[in-house]
Amino acid sequence: MDDTKTLNLNVRKDFPILSKKILKKKDLIYFDTAASAQKPNTVIDETNDFYKNHYSNVSRGVHTLSVESTFRYEDARKKVQKFLNARSENEIIFTKSATEGINLVAQTFYEKFMQKGDEVILSLIEHHSNLIPWFFLRDKYGVVLKFANIQPSGEIDIDHFNSLFTNKTKIVSLTHLSNVFGTELNEKAISICKDKNIPILLDGCQSAAHLKIDVQKLGCDFFVFSGHKTYGPAGIGVLYGTENLLSEMPPYQGGGGMIGDVSLEGASYAELPAKYEAGTPPLVEAHGLGIAIDYMNKIGLDNIIEHENEITKYAFNKLNEIDFIEIHGGDNKRNSIISFNVKNVHSHEVSSFLDVEGIAIRAGHHCCQPLMKHLGVNSTARLSFGVYNSLEEVDKFVIALHKCKEFFNK
Amino acid sequence: MNDLINDLYQEIILDHGREPRNFGECEPHNKSADGHNPLCGDNLKLTFLLNDQNIIEDIKFTGEGCAISLASASLMTEKLKGKKIEVAEEIFKDFTNLVSGSDEDLKVLNEEDSLYALKGVGGFPMRVKCATMAWHAFKQALKD
Ligand SMILES: Cc1ncc(COP(=O)(O)O)c(C=O)c1O
Repeated sequence: MDDTKTLNLNVRKDFPILSKKILKKKDLIYFDTAASAQKPNTVIDETNDFYKNHYSNVSRGVHTLSVESTFRYEDARKKVQKFLNARSENEIIFTKSATEGINLVAQTFYEKFMQKGDEVILSLIEHHSNLIPWFFLRDKYGVVLKFANIQPSGEIDIDHFNSLFTNKTKIVSLTHLSNVFGTELNEKAISICKDKNIPILLDGCQSAAHLKIDVQKLGCDFFVFSGHKTYGPAGIGVLYGTENLLSEMPPYQGGGGMIGDVSLEGASYAELPAKYEAGTPPLVEAHGLGIAIDYMNKIGLDNIIEHENEITKYAFNKLNEIDFIEIHGGDNKRNSIISFNVKNVHSHEVSSFLDVEGIAIRAGHHCCQPLMKHLGVNSTARLSFGVYNSLEEVDKFVIALHKCKEFFNK
Repeated sequence: MNDLINDLYQEIILDHGREPRNFGECEPHNKSADGHNPLCGDNLKLTFLLNDQNIIEDIKFTGEGCAISLASASLMTEKLKGKKIEVAEEIFKDFTNLVSGSDEDLKVLNEEDSLYALKGVGGFPMRVKCATMAWHAFKQALKD
């Protein structure tokens, strides 16, 4: 290992799964946080405690347990509001995932503000979650989709992006941090939307735990993320939207909890945020997400970011020195994610080989098939880092990679 | 080296993965199907010629994929060429059992078969789909 200053967060012990031995003997090195983050003890214990001591439905009754559950659910909303620096709790909608958040916006924004022939701008690096909901609009309603090109660095080609706007452009939806390249969105993309007065949705799945998010400073109109990628439970997601837009758009799903008053002739709808939360929500998961946010705050997001940046730079430089490794994208504005290929070895082989060494990495198309096509590969291997990773793990990984190359080229 | 890895990547698998046999398109052919693994993006196209005695006269594939999926497709074409359909279907059943980790009750395959080399896939449940992609394309082609 080099003499680089290491900000050792010393949090590995907080994550019980990290003491698991892979194949009974290998220490687990978890480099797949971008797919889903591991959970700290506090999240596991607090969700357990919710079921054991406080559980009931939310906002439905007046008894003690209902009050305790509702308090925890709404307290989680406050934590998310602070985490994103939203203006009000009314701007925080709990969903089941980022995916559901994007579907919600695509559907209800269309219903209120769009018609056949109107245009949506996306980009080539989007996750399928930020493509298919818009494909639905194209297929069902004749909406036109346009895709911004990317540069070899992995960043969106801003000039091309700018050239896609017409007087039919109604909304833009872009990833805030690419799950393949780890590159952060150029802020210019957002300011272009602001200048043209076009709402922009940021897919914050990969940025939420790895960048400091301030939706007001960012100036985005919508922001989505998933709890499971931010050290919280799966089954809970967040949609941030400005109160203006969320008030104007129609409800997404109908059901209990989202109504004002119902008669057989019709219904009025609840105020924000309940308007978009039909049915019993994932209340324990929401609480778990709140605890995960507490956990990140306790370590300090600045510390987390510094730590991950250091590991990312270290790993990037190490990989860059190896002649049989091809890294996708550049090193500018890269955070916590590195996709690469081992020359002449399929990413599946790399992943299976590393697996028996105790190293978990992702192999595949990362739900970005259009991007893979653009890169001219059908899959890549991906490293992604979280609070619990260390430079030593990167060193072990590099040694294993050399062994892997040797094995397959013997 | 780890046993699991050595079991998974036997020499014959690495060899067929690097240099798949019967790679290309069968001309003429009267059966074809595409295989696709949506989890990773690997894909292949299988073509074969079934004669009037229900014998697979020739069989080829093209596509891109990992060593396991290419080797499995390559070994499959070698095994099925010249076989009657009924036999091929028995082999299909045996093979899917084999790579899912159960080699009891095999009817037609035995340890002498080159296909047996893929048994190691059983130690990697997430890779079973790689090994069966070509075989499912074969089944699909029979249905169409
Ligand atoms: C950039 C990006 N967007 C969207 C998603 C979808 O997240 P989820 O499946 O939690 O809804 C992911 C997760 O893989 C992602 O990385």
